[in-house]
Amino acid sequence: MTTSRRTFLKFAVGVPLTGAALAACGSSGPSSAGSGGGSTGSGASYWYLSGPPGEKIRTDTVNRFNSANPNTKIKGTTFQNDAYKTKIKTAIGAGQSPTIIWGWGGGGLRSYVQANQVEDLTSWFGQNAAVKNRLFPSSFGAATVDGKIYAMPAETVQPIVLYYNKKLFDQIGAQPPQTYGDILDLVPKFNAKGIAPFSLGGQSRWTNMMWLEFFYLRLGGSELFQRVMTEKGAWSDPVSLKGLQMTQDLVKANGFVKGFSSITADSNADQALLYRGKAAMMLHGSWSYGIQVSNGGKFVPDGDLGWMNFPSVDGGTGDPADTVGNPGQYLSISSKATAAEKETAKNFFKTAVLSPEENKEWIDTGQVPISTGTESQLNASKDKDFLNFVYGIASKAKNFGQSWDQALDPTAAETLLDNISKLFQLSISPQQFADNMNKVIGQ
Amino acid sequence: MVLPALLIFLAFGVIPLLGALGLSFTTWDGIGAIHPSGLTSWRATLTDPGLPHALYVTFLIMALSWAFQTPMSLLLGVFLAGRQRYRAVLAVVYFVPLLLSSAAIAITYKALLDPNFGLSAGLGVGFLAQDWLGRGRLAVGVVIFIVSWQYIPFHSLIYQAGVRQIPVSMYEAAQLDGAGRVRQFFSITLPQLKYTIITSSTLMVVGSLTFFDLIWVLTAGGPADATRVLAVQMYIKGFQGNQMGPASAIAVILVFVGLGLALLLRRLGGDARESQTEGA
Amino acid sequence: MATTLTPDTDQAGEAPGRSHSGRSQSPRHWNWPGGLAGWIWLGIVIIPIYWIIITSFKTSANYFSANPLKPPTDLTFENYKLVIQEHFIRYFFNSLVVTLGAVVPAVLVSFMAAYAIVRGRGRFLWSTNALFLAGLAIPLQATIIPIYLIIIRLKLYDSLLAIILPSIAFAIPLSVLVLTNFIRDVPNELFESMRVDGASEWGTLWHLAFPLSRPALVTVTIYNGLIIWNGFLLPLVLTQSPERRTLPLALSAFQGQYTVNVPAVLASVVLTTLPILVLYVVGRRQLLSGLTAGFGK
Repeated sequence: MTTSRRTFLKFAVGVPLTGAALAACGSSGPSSAGSGGGSTGSGASYWYLSGPPGEKIRTDTVNRFNSANPNTKIKGTTFQNDAYKTKIKTAIGAGQSPTIIWGWGGGGLRSYVQANQVEDLTSWFGQNAAVKNRLFPSSFGAATVDGKIYAMPAETVQPIVLYYNKKLFDQIGAQPPQTYGDILDLVPKFNAKGIAPFSLGGQSRWTNMMWLEFFYLRLGGSELFQRVMTEKGAWSDPVSLKGLQMTQDLVKANGFVKGFSSITADSNADQALLYRGKAAMMLHGSWSYGIQVSNGGKFVPDGDLGWMNFPSVDGGTGDPADTVGNPGQYLSISSKATAAEKETAKNFFKTAVLSPEENKEWIDTGQVPISTGTESQLNASKDKDFLNFVYGIASKAKNFGQSWDQALDPTAAETLLDNISKLFQLSISPQQFADNMNKVIGQ
Repeated sequence: MVLPALLIFLAFGVIPLLGALGLSFTTWDGIGAIHPSGLTSWRATLTDPGLPHALYVTFLIMALSWAFQTPMSLLLGVFLAGRQRYRAVLAVVYFVPLLLSSAAIAITYKALLDPNFGLSAGLGVGFLAQDWLGRGRLAVGVVIFIVSWQYIPFHSLIYQAGVRQIPVSMYEAAQLDGAGRVRQFFSITLPQLKYTIITSSTLMVVGSLTFFDLIWVLTAGGPADATRVLAVQMYIKGFQGNQMGPASAIAVILVFVGLGLALLLRRLGGDARESQTEGA
Repeated sequence: MATTLTPDTDQAGEAPGRSHSGRSQSPRHWNWPGGLAGWIWLGIVIIPIYWIIITSFKTSANYFSANPLKPPTDLTFENYKLVIQEHFIRYFFNSLVVTLGAVVPAVLVSFMAAYAIVRGRGRFLWSTNALFLAGLAIPLQATIIPIYLIIIRLKLYDSLLAIILPSIAFAIPLSVLVLTNFIRDVPNELFESMRVDGASEWGTLWHLAFPLSRPALVTVTIYNGLIIWNGFLLPLVLTQSPERRTLPLALSAFQGQYTVNVPAVLASVVLTTLPILVLYVVGRRQLLSGLTAGFGK
């Protein structure tokens, strides 16, 4: 029954494995790099997001590539959004990255670059100017780290849009706001009729952040918008503090629907408030349009949905044409992949990503691909009004800011979202918010 | 005989944990190279005001969910131990929540607690339109309630089994002595269930340390940090914030908390056994 | 040889629900606090379940448009069709293999370990037990990267065994704890008499301790079974191809980048739960008598 010392030693030798395991966590990685993504010889592996409508389009693109390149196929694997974030981090951390990494660009990409996990594509884009020129120039900002391009911009442009319910405006006899001052005047009018002025899926946090982003962009311009991400102390700039104060003022004035902190964006409850006539306005990503079309019944077809860029803020120095959101999505190549895998990936970028066929598929779902020269395709769509509006914003904005949570490094992004949540809860003051942010920015 | 369990536990439990312990003495963003950095991560973790807060929330949820679940499970267990057929049907219904995954439960409750489209709209009861997940205290209460919703059936099942084991003769004797139902419950049922209570409490207390899925999907630790238990705090640091060093330090703390609680409950269990042997 | 611990557990194995005279607290006395709590709890349990079921028959377009507690006017089976098309059967089979493949060995090795810990003595067993206790609180998330590396080195990545092995390891601590607590309660005289009869420790383990521990074994089996059945992180990280997915991963197939198709998720929840619910209804008597056989002490 009792176990001898010898048997104990027998499995004690298993322990040194830990050292090996830890060492393997490092950038050296096992030699079989890429096997995590399923090594396919000279082919490549590609992990991307599942879920409608993007999954089908991404898969179609892979299939088109594979039938054109039967010898260098790409093996795609899909993951749900939140699951993907965990999975990709584990895989890269363990040196098992897929060849092609789907991503959001910005701060996340920067952390890959700093760890030497992704391929520098600058010279490749230099040799393939045609590829570069068929994409929106604004989409390259979030793919660039320290002057070098590390990702292929892909998919669609997603500015944040101010949506409104035209019927509710008719009901109180008001016009869509021209300035932020108009918005403040509208708030009590809607509240008096028992209509929430703004819908907000406040539990999701990034939904709250969109407000702050527009206040900064309109008050201090894109210069301030960028500065708060890099410069220590920029959050306690008087203009910054004013933006934070405006946020809390709007909360206190009951600008947002009651119980907004309990509403999640992923269940679409925030969008339902708008199309079901319970809230008059909503700040949301351009992808929301497609959701309102498919879930809103007759709301969009009847022309009850209105949209505009966020209005100017009185006294602000920002350009009202500027916008914020996702300038694109991003595909990187793992630096650990073999030369053949990398070659396949580059061929995929060149010939398959945002091909005319793929562009059409995105447009059919009510989204604007980041390709240039799609005007005629956009005009042929049943959603042409909205699509042209988005295309106009994306091409006219002098500055297309990438959302802070994507642009910042992950540690700072987490602190930011955390503090935004507290700011909207009114549990911290603007000054405390600034102090908390100054601790993590620009160290 | 202990070897098969020990070996597999060493391979897939202890070695990974030693990996985490090792990582707590490094700086690693989870993506690139690992740099040994001595006590930097520990210093950062132990001076982070987030840590005492997470400990507080962890113990708060642990204690309150225990305090709510135990009497409820006991009450329901005693009730279900009765012999009527319909109670068996009730027991089947009670059991359903236990079969659902935490993620599914969280999605369901998020929808039901929505102030505009949830239960309040369904039942037409305005009172239910609270900012359930948007106010810190309410959110903690909601988490405790949902945990109870999920696990009370299991614990009442254990109690039901326990109650059925109490010899009827004890109740008959008590009845002859003229003891009422309440007296019987406190002087017979409760002491006889002591061992059951300890087993059930162990499962509740230790289980509560590993609540992650439910809280993550339901509130992601929010609003702000109101429901940020240790496991969530660790995940946020490590997987959201790319700070694997401090995250690993939190993991080690979590293991020590668990060890302490387990030893404490073992001691209680040991006492219970002694008293039983004396009584026998 | 007695399969009972004390004289009063004679009727331990009997099926519950059967009408029985002298035994329970007599039904003549209506246990009103219990009854009240029982009915209230029924309501509390049933509303979310009812909501899950009716909503799984709604279209996603109508999800927000009607009273959430009213049955759908436009009953649709679309969601169920969608779920089944998502290879539900395959995922179900994988979940079954993983759950059985992990729970059975986990409970058996934990039982052997628990027996050794209770019956043996010495520093080694004491330390082993302390190790298991410490393991109770190992957070899976913290150890997932080392586990991933170990699985890759064992060339088990993207296999069901990759999920099974760590699942066993993580089931061991609690199982050992519950089982040792239970085996300790077996009167020493029983073991002594087996020894006098010349039984080996191995024989005593399976012929005496195992049947005696049935209630505790049932408890840990259910507990671990449910945790593994619903496990998400291990299947996510340790497998990749759709052929190896388990049900909890399939659930996330209806959660997109910005949206969740709530009715489809719920249809998949219903389909995931139904088989185990049937299993529970069928096996309930067994389960309960197993639990009843000894939890009273």
